[in-house]
Amino acid sequence: MTHWTLRLPFVSLRLSARGSAIALALALMIAAGALLALRLGSYPLAPGTWGAILGGAGSDIEQMILLDHRLPRILTALGAGACFGLSGAMFQTMLRNPLASPDVIGFNAGASCGALVAIIAAGSAATGGTILLGALLGAFCTAVLVTGLAWRNGLQAERLVLIGLGVGFALAALSDLLLSRTDARTAADMTKWLIGTLNARDWQDVTLVWAGLALLSPMLVWLHFPLARLGLPEDLAGGLGLRLSQLRLTITALGIVLATLAVCSAGPLPFVAFAAGPIARALLRNGQPALLGAAAIGALLVLAADTAARMIVTLHLPAGVFTALIGGPVMIWLLVTQLRKGKL
Amino acid sequence: MTQPASLYADQPTRQDAPQDARLRARTLSVAYAQASILSDLTLDIPDGEITVIVGPNACGKSTLLRSLARLQRLSGGQVLLDGKSIHHQRSRGVAQRLAILPQSPTAPEGLTVHDLVSRGRTPHQSALQQWSRQDARAVEQALERTGMAPLAQRSLEALSGGQRQRAWIAMALAQETDILLLDEPTTYLDLPHQIELLTLVQSLNQDSGQTVAMVLHDINLAARFASHMIALRSGEVFAKGRPEQVVTRENMAEVFGLKCQIISDPVHATPHVIPE
Ligand SMILES: Nc1ncnc2c1ncn2[C@@H]1O[C@H](COP(=O)(O)OP(=O)(O)OP(=O)(O)O)[C@@H](O)[C@H]1O
Ligand SMILES: [Mg+2]
Repeated sequence: MTHWTLRLPFVSLRLSARGSAIALALALMIAAGALLALRLGSYPLAPGTWGAILGGAGSDIEQMILLDHRLPRILTALGAGACFGLSGAMFQTMLRNPLASPDVIGFNAGASCGALVAIIAAGSAATGGTILLGALLGAFCTAVLVTGLAWRNGLQAERLVLIGLGVGFALAALSDLLLSRTDARTAADMTKWLIGTLNARDWQDVTLVWAGLALLSPMLVWLHFPLARLGLPEDLAGGLGLRLSQLRLTITALGIVLATLAVCSAGPLPFVAFAAGPIARALLRNGQPALLGAAAIGALLVLAADTAARMIVTLHLPAGVFTALIGGPVMIWLLVTQLRKGKL
Repeated sequence: MTQPASLYADQPTRQDAPQDARLRARTLSVAYAQASILSDLTLDIPDGEITVIVGPNACGKSTLLRSLARLQRLSGGQVLLDGKSIHHQRSRGVAQRLAILPQSPTAPEGLTVHDLVSRGRTPHQSALQQWSRQDARAVEQALERTGMAPLAQRSLEALSGGQRQRAWIAMALAQETDILLLDEPTTYLDLPHQIELLTLVQSLNQDSGQTVAMVLHDINLAARFASHMIALRSGEVFAKGRPEQVVTRENMAEVFGLKCQIISDPVHATPHVIPE
């Protein structure tokens, strides 16, 4: 395994050649996928005309389709996928359990439930801000509830996973109940908060998820260093001088914010946060948290799911159905390998 | 700090003089939910020596080691590192002076030996400075010393128990601390590999004057490699001192409930236990 060493006056890094090659390949796949998705649709738009349309030329309908429909939808898919992937990989690494991702332990369900409550409470006055606030509150309350219930002389990942699953189901039921109490039109809009779909995304969604990612990225860069060491047994990580409680709080908070951003822009797409990390780690095979890889895989998963949903127009399936189709087998694979190793 | 440890009974003078100790426990107590595990322990880990802690299963050896490395919440007393309470010092600063290898650790899947050993550099690194020249040199040296250099690119799962143990030791070495705490470093090793590993620890202690405190189950190996021994019995220090002061017929009976004869090891002149 070849490595490159980077040494500048205040920065030094060691990069693996394999990791860099995989990062490059994933970036190319994302670019190719985005271009394909941009072409896809019943209204034909030749790639040669995109530049002109972006520059302001082209008919109104071309402008609308490219700039108001396809582009925001694709950018939201990529951003939400990256947020899901990052959040999942952070929790999985911190808790040293591949099942402990925010969609499995109920945090996503908490966020969407919070968003629903905010929409219903605010009525017609509901804005993006109120919904985001509701979702954040929902996710944080769920996190407090789940960790509180799972706490017994410290936090055991296994207990957390099982209790989180239960809380997640309860919250999903609560969301269904809330939905049944609203009028038909609001209820139709709200399916996004139950299954996850990228129908009718606009630039507000794009801004929300990408501005969030941009704001949080310095923290992610900083956290990558301790996260790579939290995979070690607790005593060792502590013995290496990491301040465990403080780190865990920071990582949990950041992971919840990332998951909430994704849920707010694309709904609680199942299995993306869960599957992105293990797939990235299986590709890299270096025992690292693979945050960047998980972000890329998450983005690809959501883009692929949404593109599939757009291709099968007649069925009107939400993207969440397709992420579940991809993520379900990954979960079975993980459950089998975990059980074989004798731990859940 | 750099003089070699007195390893054998024919060098008793240093042991009898009052000892310098950068790491000390003062009336240390630990309890889990009312159950007292360690009570009122006062002891020193003498500088530049090899201290071996012995005692029956569940008597609190690991808990003591964890407490000395500020990984354990204390219910009373304190641990002093360089004269200051270890719990009131910066974790990173402590980790630059003291390394601990817990009992049978596990590594994340896929981690290579080189990456594992590099993790030992954590207290000397930061998010920005992740791979200085000093880091590269320390990792290289640790791999060389433990004979793990040829296996550096192997993943940990692809190693034998003995090789894996040496990889963990290499990680603790790369941390470049003055004090090294090892919890049962010889588990899973056959006798030749136990001797090999303990000889490595001994040479670290003699060459660089590293202070070592470790838990061992084999009393005879403990007596042979220790310059200072501590015998624990149900959370209390029952005996401490040179191996021949600790490994006696009476102490073995009291601490382990073991009836035995003690002879002098004909090769190393250290006490040797022959169970009856
Ligand atoms: N997290 C914990 N919660 C409750 N009790 C604990 C915990 N950890 C250890 N103990 C108890 O503390 C006592 C001392 O444990 P410790 O691991 O220090 O023993 P030990 O001397 O290292 O034993 P061994 O030789 O088996 O390694 C045991 O009775 C153990 O059951
Ligand atoms: Mg022990």
